[in-house]
Amino acid sequence: MSATTTEDRHSHSLKRRLLASMAAAFVLLLLLISVLLWNYSRAAANRTYDLLLAGAALSVLERVSYNSAGPTVDLPQSAMDILALAADDRVAYRVFSPNYGELTGTPDLPVPESLQPSIDPVFYDAKLDEGFRFVYQGRQITSSRGREWVFVQIGQTLNARKAQRDTLFLYGMIGLGAVSLIGLGFVWLAIRTSLAPLRAIADTLMARTSRDLSPIEGDPPLEISDLFRAINSFIAQLVRSRNLTESFIADVAHQTRTSLSALQGQLSLAADANEFDRMRDRLGKAEKQAERTVHLTNQLLANAMVIHRSEDAQLEPMDLRMLVRDTLAELLRERRLRQVSISFDDSGLPEGKAPIRGDAISIREALRNLIDNAVRHGGQENTILIEIDADAQVVRLTVSDAGPGIARADLVRATERFTSINSKTAGSGLGLAIVRSVAEGHGARLQLGSSVLGGLRATIVFPRLLVVALACLLLTMQANAVSARELVIHAATDPGAMRPLVDAFEAQSPGWTITYREYQTVDLYREVRDADPETRADVIISSAMDLQVELVNRGLARTLRLPNAILPPDWARWRSQLFGFTWEPAAIIYDKREFDEEDLPTSHRDLASFIRENESKLRGEVGGYDLRRSGIGYLFATQDTIQSVQAQRLTEVLARANAQSFCCTSEMLDAVAAGKLSMALNVIGSYAMKRDPAPGQENIGVHFLDDYNLVMSRTAWVPKTAPEPEMAERFVAFLLSAEGQSIINLKTPLIPLLLSREQPLGLEDVRPAGNASFLPIRLGPGLLTFLDRIKRDEFLRSWVSSMGGQDYGP
Amino acid sequence: MLLVEDNDELAETILDRLRSEGHSVDREANGDEANDLLRFSSFDIVLLDINLPGRSGYDVLRSMRSRGDATPVIVLTARSEIDDRVVGLDAGADDYMVKPFDFRELSARCRVLARRRAGSSSNVFSAGSFRFDRAAKQAHVDGHQLELRAREVQLLEIMLDNLERMLTKEEVADKLYTFEETPSLNAVEQLVTRLRRKLEGTPLVIKTARGLGYMAYVSDDD
Repeated sequence: MSATTTEDRHSHSLKRRLLASMAAAFVLLLLLISVLLWNYSRAAANRTYDLLLAGAALSVLERVSYNSAGPTVDLPQSAMDILALAADDRVAYRVFSPNYGELTGTPDLPVPESLQPSIDPVFYDAKLDEGFRFVYQGRQITSSRGREWVFVQIGQTLNARKAQRDTLFLYGMIGLGAVSLIGLGFVWLAIRTSLAPLRAIADTLMARTSRDLSPIEGDPPLEISDLFRAINSFIAQLVRSRNLTESFIADVAHQTRTSLSALQGQLSLAADANEFDRMRDRLGKAEKQAERTVHLTNQLLANAMVIHRSEDAQLEPMDLRMLVRDTLAELLRERRLRQVSISFDDSGLPEGKAPIRGDAISIREALRNLIDNAVRHGGQENTILIEIDADAQVVRLTVSDAGPGIARADLVRATERFTSINSKTAGSGLGLAIVRSVAEGHGARLQLGSSVLGGLRATIVFPRLLVVALACLLLTMQANAVSARELVIHAATDPGAMRPLVDAFEAQSPGWTITYREYQTVDLYREVRDADPETRADVIISSAMDLQVELVNRGLARTLRLPNAILPPDWARWRSQLFGFTWEPAAIIYDKREFDEEDLPTSHRDLASFIRENESKLRGEVGGYDLRRSGIGYLFATQDTIQSVQAQRLTEVLARANAQSFCCTSEMLDAVAAGKLSMALNVIGSYAMKRDPAPGQENIGVHFLDDYNLVMSRTAWVPKTAPEPEMAERFVAFLLSAEGQSIINLKTPLIPLLLSREQPLGLEDVRPAGNASFLPIRLGPGLLTFLDRIKRDEFLRSWVSSMGGQDYGP
Repeated sequence: MLLVEDNDELAETILDRLRSEGHSVDREANGDEANDLLRFSSFDIVLLDINLPGRSGYDVLRSMRSRGDATPVIVLTARSEIDDRVVGLDAGADDYMVKPFDFRELSARCRVLARRRAGSSSNVFSAGSFRFDRAAKQAHVDGHQLELRAREVQLLEIMLDNLERMLTKEEVADKLYTFEETPSLNAVEQLVTRLRRKLEGTPLVIKTARGLGYMAYVSDDD
């Protein structure tokens, strides 16, 4: 009991309260400062990243030119690379001219209405599917019709800004928080010092013996002098209470001894009596006295028991009505109750129940005493009425008798110990005191008054036990077994390469079927872009990294929370939405019967020279991707123009050598195997390197260059519209897991990312001799440059015309 | 009768009292010995103290009942807390008395037990001028036969079997009527009133406590 009280007090300690209010003040201050800091952080982050937008806009405007058809633009890679510095942000851009309309990019991006043509950059926020920050900048170019305005508008999502803003804000707040904590520390010290007098009082009291009840002395500070006085008055109360207890013990001793002396006196008188009648008379009195002594002792013991139980006993839910009935049935057997008319009335009980929390033994004792009183004071022709009734809050137990009752003035005194109002009918003087103790032990009240029968009416008012009917909620289990569910994968990649992965995943996902649908890269791109509601996929897999980036840049992808342990390297993931899972270098394959490894060129510069030198030998026997038909081919070719100034020269050389173009790697492999080609460029090397030479393909050699070799990665993402997003996420995680990567390594012609991650470029089994260096193509906005309509048309037109082929029409 | 009590002074006074009333009483002071004695001898009433050397009074009582010994037992205890009494009654005691007790009360309780036992085992119940022959289903006061209807005889039997026990109206109705008859509490009330009137002047009293029930007792036992 004391332990909990101490704890309660502790939790409401003054020190804590003061500290808490100071802390609240600090928090309020921090909140105010945090608002300012937040605005500052946002402005600072915006300034930083507006520079990126401005830089990108400038570099695009620089490449705006005027040709016969009107203004045009050659989108610079640098613009996208600048934007990619905010690595996780999607990009939207647009170039247009008031007189010629949209030139390229996403048409109809939002422009503030109030905007005037200006050569200075204007920044503003706008909402597309999510928040974007735009730059809007114009340039006037000279045309045949005079000066034309061309505007560029570039927008970026806010991830990097938000991250920057949060970082600035967080560091600021951490600093402020630390300062606040130090401040609170000082507050705590101050509180401690000023509360020291209280501690002194506590020490004084602790040091006392339990007998020492003298008032505490000292000169308390003004603020606690009230407390000081209160403690002293409490001590005074304790002194009174102890005196009371002492007088009770003295009373008990007195009562018992008096009673016993009287008994002893009567007995010795009886023993000394000469005449038989006198002796008999004395003995009769002695017997009466013994009866009183027994009654007194019983009552004293009952009193002690009731007090003890009220401190100790556990109150249990019970029905007071049953207890009263049983007790009355017991009592009625007593001979002294035979002439008394007793009735019991429980008709005032709703539903016949009187639920309370109680201790049966104590309540029985109280009821005995009430009835005992009623019998003792009820006189002749007594009637005793016992009633139980209840309402929503309380249960009342009432005992009324037909005796003379107690005068109103004496009612208060009646429940005190050793007080008997009527000396003729006096009992031990403990009866009502016992009843009162029982009532107090039950949190009940004892009310005394006049009964309708004319005598005393004693009522114990118990708090009613509220029976909380607990509604049993039955969980209806879905009885039907989980029906088979479907995970739909749309992929533009060799099904032979994906099948083992799909099978393994299906095997470990009972209740799931996996539907795998194959596409060409561009078809898949169009289907997803146009969001055909009929063909909703859960996972989109494609080898065309640029098209995948374009789709994710549109905001179509769902953010996946993959464990850090399986995340691919930086270059092979974007925005936690797009994930590469293979490592596939572009290689030169050649016919071993035509060339020796040593004779092959070692750099892109040498490659052009090599083909030119062997032009006659290679005529019509060099292969490459048809850039119009193959997404991979286009990707490799455009990346080559970024990496190497030799790219254009190489194209020309190939054209002179009458190079053949193919749709895909497998066709080129077959052609080399069949001796139709001596050499093929930018072939996905993993196929050639990994697969056990098929019969008839033993002659295929794989060659890497020393300056760089592009590496692409097949990528997967989950559309926001995926019907089974969780399973889709698990599938992507599976692709990147150790198990998935090992299946890629062992059962498919692809090379897993994991190998290259755990053992850097650890391709001992597949990596060719020499100093080949590998340059992974990085996922991100940088890949968007060559998807620009004008840029793409221009690139393909130039390629077609170089190859001397048919006219290229977009 | 058998008194099992370890305190010699108390035992002596009880023995004197009961013997002066003409009972023949044996006394044991030890629980084990009392148990052995009860195993082979039979008594009309056993007065059993709880706190005994050897085995406790409860154990003695329990082994009696488990042997199928139905001898009426009055438990004597110094503990006033009712829990003990309930345990005692549950263990198979027929009655209990808390020390210190009034010797007249003790004699009266013994008589009641003897009457209940006599009423159910022999065929004749008698108290003062009142006499009831179970076999003949006839009651006599001072030798004159009382006119009793069948239901009244039934009620009388029930009340005599439960001498000094409080029976609720419902309990009486249950014992009085068969399952098919719908017992009316009103009818029970009227029946009791009629029987009481016929028993006026006899020491047999049926007391009504309104709201509680009925109890029969023999008034001149005091």
